[in-house]
Amino acid sequence: MSVRIGAVAGVVALLFIGLLTRLWYLQVLNTEDFQSQAQTYVPANTIRYATLPAPRGRILDAQERVLVDNRRVNVVTLDASTARERADADSGYLLHLAREISRHGRPVKVANLEAAVADLRYGPNDRIPIAYDVREEFAIIVGERAEELPGVRLTETSVRHYPYGPLAAHVLGYVGSITASEVAERENHPKRYQPNDEIGKAGVELAFEDVLRGTPGWREITISPDNQIVGERQIVAPIAGFDVHLTLDIDLQALVEEQLRLGLERARETPIDVDPEENPEPENPLLEPATYPAPAGAAALLDPRDGSVLAMASYPSYDPRQFILGIGEEEFASLIDPESYAPFNNRAIAGAYSIGSAMKPFTAYAALSTGLIGDRGYVEVNGTINDTGSHILQDCEGQCEFTNARGESYGETDLRLSLTVSSDVYYYQLAEQFAIRPGFDEEQVQKTAREFGFGAPTGVALPFESPGLIPDSEIKRQRHEANPDAFPDADWRVGDTLNIAIGQGDMAATPLQLANALSVFANGGTLHASNIAQAVKNPVTGETESDYTSRVIRNLYMPQQILTPILDGMVGVTELRSINYSGTAADAFAGFPGDWTVAGKTGTVEVLDKNDSSVFMAFGPTEDPRYSIAVIMEESGFGGRAAAPVVRNVLQSIAVGSVPSAETLADDGFLVAAIGREVAGAR
Amino acid sequence: MNSAVLESFRQPRVRQTDAREGESFWLRIDYVFVLSVFLLGCFGIAMIYSSSRGPDPAQYNRLNSDRQAIFLAVGMVVMLATAWIRSDRFRQASWAFYGLGLTVLLLVISPLGASRRGAQAWFEISSFQIQPSEFMKVAFIMALASFLGAGSSKLQVPRLLAGLAIVLVPIGLVMLEPDAGTSVVFVVIAMAMIVVRGVRLRHALVLLVCSAVAVGLLLSSSILEEYQRERLNVFINPDTETVDTYNVEQAQIAIGNGGMFGQGYGQGSQTQSGRVPEQHTDFIFTAVGEELGFMGAAGTVLLYALLLWRIARLGRASSTTYGKLLATGVLAMLAFQGFQAAGMAVGIMPVTGVPFPLLSYGGSSMLATCLALGLVLGLSQGREENFNPAFIR
Repeated sequence: MSVRIGAVAGVVALLFIGLLTRLWYLQVLNTEDFQSQAQTYVPANTIRYATLPAPRGRILDAQERVLVDNRRVNVVTLDASTARERADADSGYLLHLAREISRHGRPVKVANLEAAVADLRYGPNDRIPIAYDVREEFAIIVGERAEELPGVRLTETSVRHYPYGPLAAHVLGYVGSITASEVAERENHPKRYQPNDEIGKAGVELAFEDVLRGTPGWREITISPDNQIVGERQIVAPIAGFDVHLTLDIDLQALVEEQLRLGLERARETPIDVDPEENPEPENPLLEPATYPAPAGAAALLDPRDGSVLAMASYPSYDPRQFILGIGEEEFASLIDPESYAPFNNRAIAGAYSIGSAMKPFTAYAALSTGLIGDRGYVEVNGTINDTGSHILQDCEGQCEFTNARGESYGETDLRLSLTVSSDVYYYQLAEQFAIRPGFDEEQVQKTAREFGFGAPTGVALPFESPGLIPDSEIKRQRHEANPDAFPDADWRVGDTLNIAIGQGDMAATPLQLANALSVFANGGTLHASNIAQAVKNPVTGETESDYTSRVIRNLYMPQQILTPILDGMVGVTELRSINYSGTAADAFAGFPGDWTVAGKTGTVEVLDKNDSSVFMAFGPTEDPRYSIAVIMEESGFGGRAAAPVVRNVLQSIAVGSVPSAETLADDGFLVAAIGREVAGAR
Repeated sequence: MNSAVLESFRQPRVRQTDAREGESFWLRIDYVFVLSVFLLGCFGIAMIYSSSRGPDPAQYNRLNSDRQAIFLAVGMVVMLATAWIRSDRFRQASWAFYGLGLTVLLLVISPLGASRRGAQAWFEISSFQIQPSEFMKVAFIMALASFLGAGSSKLQVPRLLAGLAIVLVPIGLVMLEPDAGTSVVFVVIAMAMIVVRGVRLRHALVLLVCSAVAVGLLLSSSILEEYQRERLNVFINPDTETVDTYNVEQAQIAIGNGGMFGQGYGQGSQTQSGRVPEQHTDFIFTAVGEELGFMGAAGTVLLYALLLWRIARLGRASSTTYGKLLATGVLAMLAFQGFQAAGMAVGIMPVTGVPFPLLSYGGSSMLATCLALGLVLGLSQGREENFNPAFIR
């Protein structure tokens, strides 16, 4: 056997001699041939791997209309080192260039070109973009008069394109240059982020960044020592990003945005309603009466059957096209400046507002579902409470008298009427009973509010959603401990419960939360998580990659004996017109088409040192609710006067089938590049 | 208290071995063997660093080379520990290892295993991947050596057929991953061991024909993945333009570019621009060839041959059939893998995913190789009854 081991070793030796022979052949006999072959690949810096950008996915509405798309535009670029040399040597160079570019449709200032050329973020081998979307004839100048304008080249780039212009800006969001920290966070990301990439910064563009972004491909470029491209091949093909299909309907979106804007404009012409009790001094009759400032507002329109967002508006708004080529720092600062009411802020999901009397249906539910209103409760469903205009708390110290807004009194008021006319006293009494009646929970109203989704994000797939706030004894104590000067009172008082019951005080909700909570009444007891997207689809194959069906958060106890009185009261808000009483939004809904009934509730919110905010929420048609909407308008006056007409106009267009088609923009050339200026958020 | 018991407390507890008295483990060990393993391992770490540090001098990537250093350290310990344990202990346990190996191979082709480059051959445990087929090779050598080592005289047909079953089961499982390269290693090991055990010429011929037919069927069947057929096709017909011709071509350019003395460590243009795929694992020989030239490549081959020679020597010196067969199996495994890995880099073997033992990056390969080497090194311990020291000294 030892001999045979020797034989095996001999075979191995032969193989290895073969290996050595081959090595000799490659490395000694033919090395020159291989070395010259290797030269075509070396040195290392002559092989470049360039990224092939992948198209970003589109964003479409529920009817497959494209809301955000990509568009190729040309870019005039300057070779940095050439441009710097020329600009130093010849002062007319940049002037001449600016004139030529301006002649081709894109006015550009010499000063900006100078700043761009001097920008040290561009290394000597970089190309500096100086103008976008010039007329094609510019290519001729670059080609034929190259010696006149050395270093100039016309290339192409892909930019976001918004066929509907500024519509739905807050929902869609925008893309912008990726920051160094965003790149660092995405190290080893399968979609390979690089320092010059764009990334979703807000709205759907941010929330769906992972699916919208395509996977870039790779290209190998072989560059000879004299800087000529001698070879180029694609190694990995880019893969397009997926399309996001929204639940939004762009026609409804246009309608809601338009009506919100018109509503605010009307409020700005409405004289401020002065409470004679608070302000006995008559205004100078010679002066024009002061009008509401109505600076901002928001609206959310949902399908109550599944929580789909049909439209979502926030005013003031901005134009996402400002961001296409990078936005200047000044412009960006004004978008987030509170002085200009932060147009960037999506108030429909990020604005936490007091909702005023729009809280009452929820308080009513709290009382009905716990039996506080009922046969053995404090008052029967059809029983009445005498609304004398004010209510004095029992066993109370300090501020114990709570009055109706504007000192109205409604006399004997039952549940339905309390909603229709918005009696505060009715709810003061309910709230007090919750606090003092044995077997009832002082924080029942807060509990019920949480059941309706207040105090927690709706789960809509958009960034920066506010959860709102439901104050309770715990929060009040914490606030006091954190800042005893601003919040001197540490203890929860019955008065706090009274405030919550009518939606005043610290309780805050977003318009989307409000519309979503209202939907629970509309659909008979189901709280949905709001959906903005319905599906993600592969644009190439058309296959659905993800499907977002409606998500039920919880089902609430909602038998007819609870729902009917609340609904009756809310229908009365828009319909009751009698000698003694009328619904708080009856004027706004006068003449509303008869085949549709709308259930609604107004809210007028007292804000410290400011004019009242106007709130209205409604759903319809009540027989088969398909639309549920909430509108909140800052400093715009009564809910029934400012916000209700906005809702009425929206619902009427829907009811009579006259929703106008949203207009696409014929000219999409809104391309203002931040050339030679500080670009916000870049690098 | 019983004085004998007291005595046993006073005496230092010494592990009982039947080693020849007066000579410690450290005196009997083959230092040329150990040193060549260590040198090859260290050289491998250096080449892994050069070929995987990446292009950016400001932040060279030391991840692979650091890990390989740990693998080598653990591997050396495993090798020495294995050598220290009596070889007949391993012999007794060889079936257990074989059974364990098969079980783990079954697990890796189950959904528990992870897929890379088209083969489901790995377990992923945090950031490490374990490739059980590497360890299976060692268990398989032990089992076959143990099985063929029993019995005397020429190999009779029933025993030969039973031996074939021991061979075919792991090959079948590895083919399911599929990993054609590793299954060829199994075939080569088995052939070498059967030949050394002694087999009738006509049986040997039948086996040879059968395996040739099996390989032929394999290549024409659909078990091979498309990319594997492509690679073989490239080898047979080098003019086709595919990604694989590109790889083979780049590897040869790299080695040819090395010339007699090489481009210098860390200076190989092909290596440093990462043109050769898998250049710190299966294709590490290209980095050696380009950066250290013919001198370096031939030196590596010779150092490797030195180790193989020491393995063959220990096998011949072993007094038992088991020992001889064990050494043969390990010799065949390392010789073939080294030849295959270097051969595909220089273009005389088709591309299959086989690492260069001790040089290529990879923990499973390093540990399995060291385990196998430890088993052979254990033979030099003379713990067998009739170890013939004449072959050693």
